[in-house]
Amino acid sequence: MTEHLLLGLQAAADTTRAYGEFPLIGARAAVWIAAEVHLMFAAFVLGVPMFAVVAEAIGIFGKDQRYDRLAKEFTRLLLVAYSATAIWGAVLVFFLATLYPKFWAYLTAVFGPSMWAYAGLFFCESFTLYLYYYGWDRWKYGRPKLGHWSLGLLLNLWGTIVMFIANSWLTYMMTPPRDITPTTDPATIKLWHAIANATWMPINVHRLIANVVFGGAIVAAYASYRFLAAKTDEERAHYDWMGYVGNFIAISALIVLPFAGYWLGREIYQYDQSMGITMMGGFMSWLWVIQAFLIAVLFLTGNYYLWIGMGRIPGAERFRPYTKYLLIVLVLGAIVWGTPHTMIADSKELAAMGGSHHPFLGALGVMSAKNTAVNLMILTTFLSFLLYRRANTRPVVPWAKSGTMIQGAMFALAAGVVLFYGIRGYFVEAIVRIGFSVYQVLAVLGCIVAVTVIDVLMGRGAQSLGAIQWGKMPPRSQYALFILAVTFTWLMGLMGFARSGIRQYWHVWQVVQDTSKYAATPALGYASKMISLCVLIFLTLVGFVFWLGGLAEKSTFVATGDREGGGGGRHVGH
Amino acid sequence: MWATNLKVVAIVLGTLALYTLIANKIPQVESEVPQTLTLGANVTPEQLVAAGEKVFNGIGGCTTCHGLGTRAPNLLTDEKGTGAIGVRCGKREAGKTCKQYLYESLDQPTAYIVAGYQPIMPVMTKQLSPQQVWAVIAFLESQGGTVDVSASDIPATSPTSPTSAGGAGGAGGAAFAGGSTDPKAIIQAAGCLACHKLDGQGQVIAPDLTHVGSRRSAESIRRKILDPASSTAKGYERLAGIMPKAFGTMMNAAQLEALVQYLAAHK
Repeated sequence: MTEHLLLGLQAAADTTRAYGEFPLIGARAAVWIAAEVHLMFAAFVLGVPMFAVVAEAIGIFGKDQRYDRLAKEFTRLLLVAYSATAIWGAVLVFFLATLYPKFWAYLTAVFGPSMWAYAGLFFCESFTLYLYYYGWDRWKYGRPKLGHWSLGLLLNLWGTIVMFIANSWLTYMMTPPRDITPTTDPATIKLWHAIANATWMPINVHRLIANVVFGGAIVAAYASYRFLAAKTDEERAHYDWMGYVGNFIAISALIVLPFAGYWLGREIYQYDQSMGITMMGGFMSWLWVIQAFLIAVLFLTGNYYLWIGMGRIPGAERFRPYTKYLLIVLVLGAIVWGTPHTMIADSKELAAMGGSHHPFLGALGVMSAKNTAVNLMILTTFLSFLLYRRANTRPVVPWAKSGTMIQGAMFALAAGVVLFYGIRGYFVEAIVRIGFSVYQVLAVLGCIVAVTVIDVLMGRGAQSLGAIQWGKMPPRSQYALFILAVTFTWLMGLMGFARSGIRQYWHVWQVVQDTSKYAATPALGYASKMISLCVLIFLTLVGFVFWLGGLAEKSTFVATGDREGGGGGRHVGH
Repeated sequence: MWATNLKVVAIVLGTLALYTLIANKIPQVESEVPQTLTLGANVTPEQLVAAGEKVFNGIGGCTTCHGLGTRAPNLLTDEKGTGAIGVRCGKREAGKTCKQYLYESLDQPTAYIVAGYQPIMPVMTKQLSPQQVWAVIAFLESQGGTVDVSASDIPATSPTSPTSAGGAGGAGGAAFAGGSTDPKAIIQAAGCLACHKLDGQGQVIAPDLTHVGSRRSAESIRRKILDPASSTAKGYERLAGIMPKAFGTMMNAAQLEALVQYLAAHK
């Protein structure tokens, strides 16, 4: 009896001040908002330097001042978003320390030294950014310009290390090394052992790519707003071009993102099958239907933007009849990808359905059909881009006709491979079927690379059918860019919920249990409200900081002249 | 400009509203925290079945695979003409009652892999409390069969194996295999033969241990038992993660050492 009493007292002592409470919305929602908004800003400030430094390099080595100006404008957005990132990071830390003090103490016991390194690197990153931006005009030419560009590289290096460190904390929560148990003293856990956990590197790679996607989408939305607000043709032309570049970066990086996602998913399955099943077939199974819907919106809107953009390219009218076929493929692909498969349901619901799959549509809900659909959608999007790219040129190389035929054959071959393995997948075991997705992906990637190489070679000395009329875009094209930015941001919130939610009632999977009143993982309805709220907060703040940044901006756009900066109606390149 | 601003705001809010609406229109499933299931000494079969159905449809996550689908055998209506699980469980293994078979299937899911399915099921006795496990068994028996689970089953963690770690606390080292340091008793208690073959006995799902001593040193065997993820035998990569990682906490040091030396001697 005494022993039980002592154990009870010990348990009470153990839970004392384990959790704090936050007024109105509760502790979980407070941390959720702080973490999500911080992450959105962080993704932006880590993604944008990657393509800012690439744009600057194009400006230097391609001797094209437009790109240098674009890189500087990217970086200006970065500067104003940077302090918001730091503020939300501090809010997150304060919330964790006060609302989840015991868990925070555990994390600091394991990762303390890496947190000090994180803070130090944050200083390095901040001051490199200041040097990079404020030194732009001072080190504009010659050797100093190369030094300036090196600062951009250094900025990316700091940012990447900072992100890798933070990723180690959250991936440890998902997949702690297997020898760590609830009784392991956190102070005895070797730092590198905790960092190099099963999902650390897949998350690192996934986030690197996703940050580029996200940064591109937000930059495109910024440019679209500036386009809509533009007062001169020069200004409109510049922001039309900037929006196009931002969207191109986002969609291009999006195409490779699923492959990093597959790797992450595989590592989760290998680490713990039950965690993988929870993610794909358990209470989160409907999440993937929502994800499919969002990706469908991205594909359709991205292609719509390209098709409208062809209206400003002389010569594009010859490709316009094909867009309806591309649209049909995209819509059919989206429908197949969004078909539910194994749904979590109770026994009565399952009996009422006659199975966990729909008797007819169930055949479209399996991975064979979905992989086929998404690969064909990627191929279709690439074809849209190819038509856009070739719209105002006519190849003059003697092998142009056979080159085009080879390109067509490559598309047909890639589609054939995708369809063959998609159908074959119905007749083999799951373990074999999973391998087929690799062949499908390789066929699509191979086609993209080979067709692009042929196109570049074929485009040498091509006859121009007229310059792209930058700025001659209807406003609806710019609203499409807004839809893309909102969808990318929402998708990021959704996938963050998936990654974090599969831990269910564990702070650290099967090591530190969540015993708070918020331990249950909420359903998708509640999560969607939280995600929408976070997206709204982020977009409102990002709009505000961009507006603040614009207050100090001196317009360099004039109705005529300054050809170097705008280039309305003059640019031929993409 | 105000008109443009309003349009932008409307598009952003409209898109957010659409996604939120869709996410709220689909079935809402929350991942619950496992609750302690208290079943008194006078618990009736009906109460057990009702509790088991709740676990089966809820925190057990059983319907994820054992719906009526293709990922795992159909437990609720019919599996290839053999009927629901309550009808067939008593006939699955000679000499085993329905209750024993179902318990072993939850405790050692790789013991009986039905042809055509992958060994993907987690050890449910590690995820659920003994009360929840027995409630699920009662529910499964009720699917076409007779419920013979009673309150007296619940304290006894296993009708066939004395070693269940249980979901609510785990087994202590002293209780494991009755504290015996006999390697054969430890192997029996740990259920090694559910996957491994040794001296002509056991399954061939995982590497054959008959000559394990010629492939691995004692140190390597010890490390593999304590940390199954430390290495994976060639050809068995797709089963990585299947071997339970709790053996190190279940056995005491003497038992572990006895098992290691026994296996290392199998040259």
